[in-house]
Amino acid sequence: MAAIAVHRFAQSITCHAWSPDHSMVAFCPNSNEVHIYRLLQDKWEKVHVLQKHDQIVSGIDWSARSNRIVTASHDRNSYVWNFEGTEWVPTLVILRLNRAALCVQWSPKENKFAVGSGAKTVCICYYEQENNWWISKLIRKRHDSSVTGVAWHPNNILLATTSTDGKCRVFSTFIKGVDTKDSRTGSSSDSKFGEQIVQLDLSFSWAFGVKWSPSGNTLAYVGHNSMIYFVDDVGPSPLAQSVAFQDLPLCDVLFVSERMVIGVGYDCSPMVFAADERGIWSFIRFLGERKIASSGSTYGSQDLYMGLLRPHPTTPFELEPKHKELIQLGIWICQQFHKSLILMKDDFSVRMVVESSFILYQFSEAFVKLYGQSKHVVSNDAVEPSRSRGGIHENCISCIVPLRQPGISTVPRFSTSGLDGKVVIWDLENQADLSVYL
Amino acid sequence: MAATEGFVEADNTEAIITRIEHKSRKIESLLKQSKPVEALKTALEGSPPMTRDERCKSANWIVVHRALMAIKDVDGLLSSLDAEYYDILMNSISISSSRENGVNGGGEFTRSRATFVLNMYLYRGLSTGDRPTCDQCLRIHEKLTERAGLGCILRYLADTVNTV
Repeated sequence: MAAIAVHRFAQSITCHAWSPDHSMVAFCPNSNEVHIYRLLQDKWEKVHVLQKHDQIVSGIDWSARSNRIVTASHDRNSYVWNFEGTEWVPTLVILRLNRAALCVQWSPKENKFAVGSGAKTVCICYYEQENNWWISKLIRKRHDSSVTGVAWHPNNILLATTSTDGKCRVFSTFIKGVDTKDSRTGSSSDSKFGEQIVQLDLSFSWAFGVKWSPSGNTLAYVGHNSMIYFVDDVGPSPLAQSVAFQDLPLCDVLFVSERMVIGVGYDCSPMVFAADERGIWSFIRFLGERKIASSGSTYGSQDLYMGLLRPHPTTPFELEPKHKELIQLGIWICQQFHKSLILMKDDFSVRMVVESSFILYQFSEAFVKLYGQSKHVVSNDAVEPSRSRGGIHENCISCIVPLRQPGISTVPRFSTSGLDGKVVIWDLENQADLSVYL
Repeated sequence: MAATEGFVEADNTEAIITRIEHKSRKIESLLKQSKPVEALKTALEGSPPMTRDERCKSANWIVVHRALMAIKDVDGLLSSLDAEYYDILMNSISISSSRENGVNGGGEFTRSRATFVLNMYLYRGLSTGDRPTCDQCLRIHEKLTERAGLGCILRYLADTVNTV
């Protein structure tokens, strides 16, 4: 089994982060709080609640060396939490945003952190000793839409961002007095703060989940059109590869090694992508149990969906009253889907992409449920909820976090959290077919 | 992959129409030889026409529609497209080189081009509301989704550059 631990902490989790020794996990249960749990004798125990934000916490990062937590929230603020004595003490960071903060990440040296926001800006925050205060410096007027993801290059200077304008950009974040000359390397050597190194325009639709490979040579990000992009030689002449896959779009990615990437998203099972000897990336397989329903019920449900659209439905089985509701829902979804199909080529297209993907998702799930139930009703078997889709996560996976061991660049262990409120720890060590990419 | 070459300006409209007419004659002769799969492949070649001109688009649609409606054996069609798909796969995952100020991948779907273009026309067919056309398109769509997955539909929905 690739999944070595599964625990459901809440109804839904927006994001999570691990303490440096991986003994504690901090997550936001889709509220304005951050809960910290510790594993005590095989039981998770709530040890701290961080209450300071007014709205949903959209990003958490726990620094490995300095043991500080940074949080970002829809309330437009960030807090840096320091552990003093027995409790976490917050320091407010005024980001100077007029829209929600969406994501946050510590820089590799942990002397800066970056916040992406709905205000089309990125905040680079650093600590000013003399004022005992975190300063936020903004990269403005570079993004045409919300910044959905930020990722630090290992050199502590370059920052990659993804945005709902479909582009991925790389900026220099050199700050005088914080960064030293020698930390600048290669092509970024003469760039000032906020200078754009490259703009990648590969996706038609929203871009999410950007990450650098451990060496910083390769960049990966995803588009909301079920594509993943890999970029080498980030600089004046980048080399890009686009990989289309069969399933629902991804939300976030993680480099496990230079040659392997895990993608998570709406399909509820992590996907493995890897590069062969020639450096060509492709989809390898799903992690964990592949939902058995996929080829049968999900797509086969179109029999039913076609049946519904036809004047005389030819449903393959006797309907029970409780299924009628689902059928109604199915019809409604089909209508919505059809509407969005008609609208898709106009200005609403972007919105429709999201709505349609959501509808598609619900649609497939509704019919998987319908098929699953109809089978189980006959055998009078209780449907175990976690098995309904055959995977370990039961809903969209929104967050993937590496469980790094100090001194090792590859991360065979990582954790995922999603809208089903579960945190799952995965280990690739015992996956024989993937070990060649590690 | 003509898609990356950008849109052709208005004075080329006539040339496109001529090409479509030529394609139409070829398709008719293929249909007469009862080679509907070959006919559809021909119809999908150079589709969608790289123009914003509605006249070209509808002319091309009529040709594709003609070929689409002649398809009886959907599985046969898709396995033959699959072969092409693998072919494209083998030949063209060449790493696309960049241009100034970034990389532009707009309109390029090298891996699943054939299925993607077919899907576009299926949706155009569905939007006509014509019973036989919708029946046919839904039938192909079902099989296509079985093979190409939901990703194919999402890419179509997300595409703001290619229109049929």
